[in-house]
Amino acid sequence: MFSTEVERAPLNLPNPETPKLEDLRWTIITSENAAEVFAKMQEQGKDPVLFGLSDDDYELLSKNFAQIRAYMIQQGLTLEQYRDYYEPKEETGKENAN
Amino acid sequence: MFSSIKIAMIVIALATAGGGFLHYKTVKADLETAKANNLLLEASVEGQKAVIAQQENDFKSILAANATLQEQNKVLAAEFSALDDRFNKINAQGEVRDIGKLAVERSRSIERVINGATKKAMRCVEIAMGSPLTEKEENATKKSEINSECPSIANPNYVPY
Repeated sequence: MFSTEVERAPLNLPNPETPKLEDLRWTIITSENAAEVFAKMQEQGKDPVLFGLSDDDYELLSKNFAQIRAYMIQQGLTLEQYRDYYEPKEETGKENAN
Repeated sequence: MFSSIKIAMIVIALATAGGGFLHYKTVKADLETAKANNLLLEASVEGQKAVIAQQENDFKSILAANATLQEQNKVLAAEFSALDDRFNKINAQGEVRDIGKLAVERSRSIERVINGATKKAMRCVEIAMGSPLTEKEENATKKSEINSECPSIANPNYVPY
């Protein structure tokens, strides 16, 4: 009895769509400019409230953000390497040609 | 008596000839089998050579993939370290930069700086998620043109100087 190995069809999943991120704006508020900042917010029709971070926490947030970003880049590159290894473009070309 | 010996000799001669013929047939069959086996072996050796070549290529690809990832990790670690340095930069007087103190003293300008940096950082995330680079990002070669938050992915033509 003979058996022939059949190659698995390449998965070829498309990359997910890249979302466009919204712009956000930091406001620095100190004991000296607080009144001015809140007055300006009211002028602009915004609720006079701010969600705050201390300078140390802002620094940590920036670093966390950078870590997440680096992880995403590493994930993307790892995925790319897997694709190159298991689904090289030349083979896809051959398959298409056949 | 003489004719009996003659007959015996003829029988022996015929038996010898028959044996020889049979032996020849067996050897010929063995030779054919050996030839066939040899062909199979040759094909098998060629197959093994192809497998070994494939394994060598795979091994090279694995090494190259690992090297690429390691290189990228180094670059990312350097960028992270640069971010840390930006927050804790030491000035000419040997003091560590305190972003809180600076923000109290120069709120407006620090606000402008962090909003600019945030915009750049957001763009870095978009690029990390697969957003294609703009022409401006592709062509950036000067410090003033690059995305200082992640030049390694945002500005492929920028060489740090």
